[in-house]
Amino acid sequence: MNATITQDMSLLYLISSASLPVQLVMALLLVTSLLSWWYIFRKLFVIKYAIKQSNEFEDVFWRGADLDALYQRAGNARYPGGSMERIFEAGFREFNKHQSDANQSAVMAGTRRAMRATFQREMDKLESHLSFLATVGSVSPYIGLFGTVWGIMNSFRSLSNVTQATIAHVAPGIAEALIATAMGLFAAIPAVIAYNRYASDTDQLATRYESFMEELSNVLQRRGV
Amino acid sequence: MSAMVLRNSSHPEPGKFLASVLALLVHVIFVVFMFFGLNWKTQAPEGMVVDLWHDLPQPVQPIIKQPPVKTEPSQPKPAQQPAQEKTLPPKIASPSPPKKPEIVRKEKKEEPKPVAEKEPAEEMQKENDQEKQREKESEEEKQREQEKAEKAETQRLQREQALQQQREQEALAAQHEAQQAAERARIMSEIAKYKAMILTKVRSRIVMPPDLPGNPMAEFSVTLLPGGDILDVQLRKSSGYASFDSAVERAIFLSKPLPLPPNPALFREFRNLNITVHYHE
Repeated sequence: MNATITQDMSLLYLISSASLPVQLVMALLLVTSLLSWWYIFRKLFVIKYAIKQSNEFEDVFWRGADLDALYQRAGNARYPGGSMERIFEAGFREFNKHQSDANQSAVMAGTRRAMRATFQREMDKLESHLSFLATVGSVSPYIGLFGTVWGIMNSFRSLSNVTQATIAHVAPGIAEALIATAMGLFAAIPAVIAYNRYASDTDQLATRYESFMEELSNVLQRRGV
Repeated sequence: MSAMVLRNSSHPEPGKFLASVLALLVHVIFVVFMFFGLNWKTQAPEGMVVDLWHDLPQPVQPIIKQPPVKTEPSQPKPAQQPAQEKTLPPKIASPSPPKKPEIVRKEKKEEPKPVAEKEPAEEMQKENDQEKQREKESEEEKQREQEKAEKAETQRLQREQALQQQREQEALAAQHEAQQAAERARIMSEIAKYKAMILTKVRSRIVMPPDLPGNPMAEFSVTLLPGGDILDVQLRKSSGYASFDSAVERAIFLSKPLPLPPNPALFREFRNLNITVHYHE
């Protein structure tokens, strides 16, 4: 017990010497973290893309483009349209189908329904996997904590066989157990941040789509008269 | 409607692959940081030996002074001087001193050349006699220097011989000492062995008080009788925990007779014994 003691506390050693449940928890957390980061980047690209496309479509639409030409373009399968374009397409199609009918309020109601249905579908797509991020953010610290508690339990239990207990008996066990908590937090923190960010982004997009729907139905009503 | 669904599915979401690559990258970076960014080992700082010099040794100066004295570089002297200099500066000293002389020597060799080339050129045009005289002088000078060099070499050889003789004598003495040391070492190892046996016997009889913080240490001085009986036990240095001190004292009394070497000549090493017991081994 002299001062020049050198204890191997490298990460690999700590992980490999952990007990099986702790190792399982670590593996689970690693997979969770990988998945959550994957979704974080995927959603980042998807939402950015959606915002960019909405900007472009709104720009074209409010510059007074021909509605028929816009509809033609949106119907083109090779053109990668955004959510707003698809909402417009659904509403315009429904409006054109009903144009022969005289009852205008019924036509507008049908158009609104068609647009709302597409809007719901698009929002569903945008918000997909956000619940996964929320789950990871709230649960993975507990999973990590479970691993830590298990590891500390074990290291204390092994302490009961020793007549003279020192901190040196418990410290490695606790250190390796705490790695599980660290991994849980590593998975959780980005997930929570990303979830909050993306939730507010999709909310903003939803408001934009809804206001666009109202404005489009006004435009169509005026056109139908 | 079905056409629209088809259309939607024909445009997969962007950057799915890129996202997976980025996710992996984040983890790899994090793991690399954990491995190399953090120092996981607790290591005591290594001790080091430092020689303090009031001034750095200055072997450069004597060489700089030489060139003006003699136009032609005498070969033996520069060869000797670097050798002396190399012995002077210790190896710990900064490597700059041994390097400098080389540079200086080169400069010195280069300097006389242009002078030697210029002078004959001028004299060829004017006076041949003077040239011859100078050549003679230079030859004489060379001879003188050669003689000097020979003398220096014979001196050096004599010195080396003396040194060798000294070394041989020293080697003999060292052999003698080594034999004595081996015998002493044998005795010492015997003593150490029995001291260790005594300590283990005492340790085995200690009833350790539980839960003392740190690694306390108690020192006792024990007076022994031939045969291993204990005459007296005195606490020399308390561990700071009375329970531990008394436990060790009891253990010492319990472990009599203490094991002693069979050779009675060694008993005087054990008459006044110091026993130091650590809480942890």
